[in-house]
Amino acid sequence: MSSRRSRQSSSGGPRITDDQIIQLVSKLQQLLPGTHIQRSNKASASKVLQETCNYVRSLHREVDDLSDRLSQLLSTIDADSPEASIIRSLIM
Amino acid sequence: MNHCVPDFETDDDYFFSASANSKRHKKSAMGDEDIMELLWQNGQVVVQSQNQRSAGNKKSETMPSTAGREIRSGVIDEETTPSNLFMQEDEMVSWLHYPSDDNSLDLYLHNNDIPYPVLPSSSSAPATTLPSSLPPPPPPLVTVPPTRPPIPPLNRVDEEPSQPKFANFLHFSRSNKRGLAGSGPSSSKQMSQAITQSTVVESNIGCRGSMSSFGGAGTSSAGTGREPETCDVSASSSPGTGGSGASASVEPSSHKPPPATDDRKRKGRDTDDTECYSEDLEFEYHDPKKKSRGSASSTKRSRAAEVHNLSERSDKASMLDEAIEYLKSLQMQVQMMSMGYNMVPMMFPGVQRYMPTMPAMGMGMGMGMGMGMDHIGMNRGMVPYPSVLPGPQMPNSAAAHMGQRFPVPRFQMAQVPIMGPGTGEAANPSDPMMNSFPTQNANQPRVPFLDPYQQCLGLPQTQLAQQQQQQQNQTGMAAVTSKPSSSKDVRYPQRHPTG
Repeated sequence: MSSRRSRQSSSGGPRITDDQIIQLVSKLQQLLPGTHIQRSNKASASKVLQETCNYVRSLHREVDDLSDRLSQLLSTIDADSPEASIIRSLIM
Repeated sequence: MNHCVPDFETDDDYFFSASANSKRHKKSAMGDEDIMELLWQNGQVVVQSQNQRSAGNKKSETMPSTAGREIRSGVIDEETTPSNLFMQEDEMVSWLHYPSDDNSLDLYLHNNDIPYPVLPSSSSAPATTLPSSLPPPPPPLVTVPPTRPPIPPLNRVDEEPSQPKFANFLHFSRSNKRGLAGSGPSSSKQMSQAITQSTVVESNIGCRGSMSSFGGAGTSSAGTGREPETCDVSASSSPGTGGSGASASVEPSSHKPPPATDDRKRKGRDTDDTECYSEDLEFEYHDPKKKSRGSASSTKRSRAAEVHNLSERSDKASMLDEAIEYLKSLQMQVQMMSMGYNMVPMMFPGVQRYMPTMPAMGMGMGMGMGMGMDHIGMNRGMVPYPSVLPGPQMPNSAAAHMGQRFPVPRFQMAQVPIMGPGTGEAANPSDPMMNSFPTQNANQPRVPFLDPYQQCLGLPQTQLAQQQQQQQNQTGMAAVTSKPSSSKDVRYPQRHPTG
């Protein structure tokens, strides 16, 4: 199998197998909230990807929210304080 | 220094041979760069060193060099340089009409050692079509990359153009500039497709992180080149961290029929392993490839599709890897921001107290910080973060460090609700807090900090709730800050809670 595929494969040495993809999908699923441990085998790859998209969107929203709060906090404190520098770094 | 070619007026053949010989000789004598060229100047062919032509006008630069190459006998080739084509189309058209223009192109390319991007050399079929006429660009371009699954070096011995895109440019020039206007946009699109395909094929060999669909943001650069390691580390860490249920369930799931796509892929793989062709019928386009692999009947079509399939798979894998890395970095970023948001108000009374509690945090957070937030404050002198952010040190061991990382924020997260709902509780000495802390942990279903992924999962929701509580209890916070040491002592398990 691998020998046959080697001459036809375009990925060179490290072969990308379907199992690898499945493992990656499961790993991704583990990162998602609510779908870890026992539930990892329930979701299909498409569902995992869909939930990943939703989760990433929610994370983005949260980052924006946190940034807003941090900037508000930044305005309340002394700009020269180390806390202010931290907040600025957090907001990036 | 213009050397007068001996008696070229009488016999062109003699002239050519003599001049070719002289040119070759001179070329060998003077090295590759000082190439003697035959220039048609004022009705006379003059042998001139290549360096001299720069003194002339720019337009004649290409023509003399290429004209000089014409004299040499060489393999007819359709190669050309895109730069020349773009800049000097007139000249290209004019000298392309010469019979030996291909020679000049090939030799010119040879001499100048122009590094072409390594592309799968096109098959002979499109090559033959190229010199003959102007074939429709799409078929040769589309079929060319897939028909060359490995990426062999450029074959200059063949008459083959090494890059279909360059050949396509040749078509443009051959078809005349008027034709170029019409065929340009469409062909350029196909060429871009071909280039994309070849790029895709290229990317399979080297870095798989060519896709920056997630906005890069440094994560892709961190993610590329680490895929096998990441997979290994994550695979090894996930069983180790208590997520063994997940991984254990994954392995059996890979052997039993799961959802559609995974099932097909897995069965396709099993076909190769077990030589069982019954499942082949289930797939729409996986079939021929699996069969071809199984039966070794590698037709061009099946091989092309298989290469496409393999490249697709590697793209999926790289995309998944990137998604995983990006998701981790996002989670880390959110965690950092929330933690900073919660801790900055606490930092007012005293900074030194927090110093000793940070080393545990510092060990694991370097990865996330390196990826998402480069300068989160490591050099600010502010306590929570300087030890936290040594930099993107251990990207591969992120999973391993998660276990260390999360106890800290977990505790901190748990503290907030302690302070929130009951400010009186906050005012209590540390012992009650310590005692209540496990109960708080028990109360929060997402707090078990032995499972890093769980912590990561529970983090956003917990943070949101706690931040709301925190905002409501700003005054409570002020009261709490009066006892930061006690709360902090309880907060971090690594430090002995002395109260």
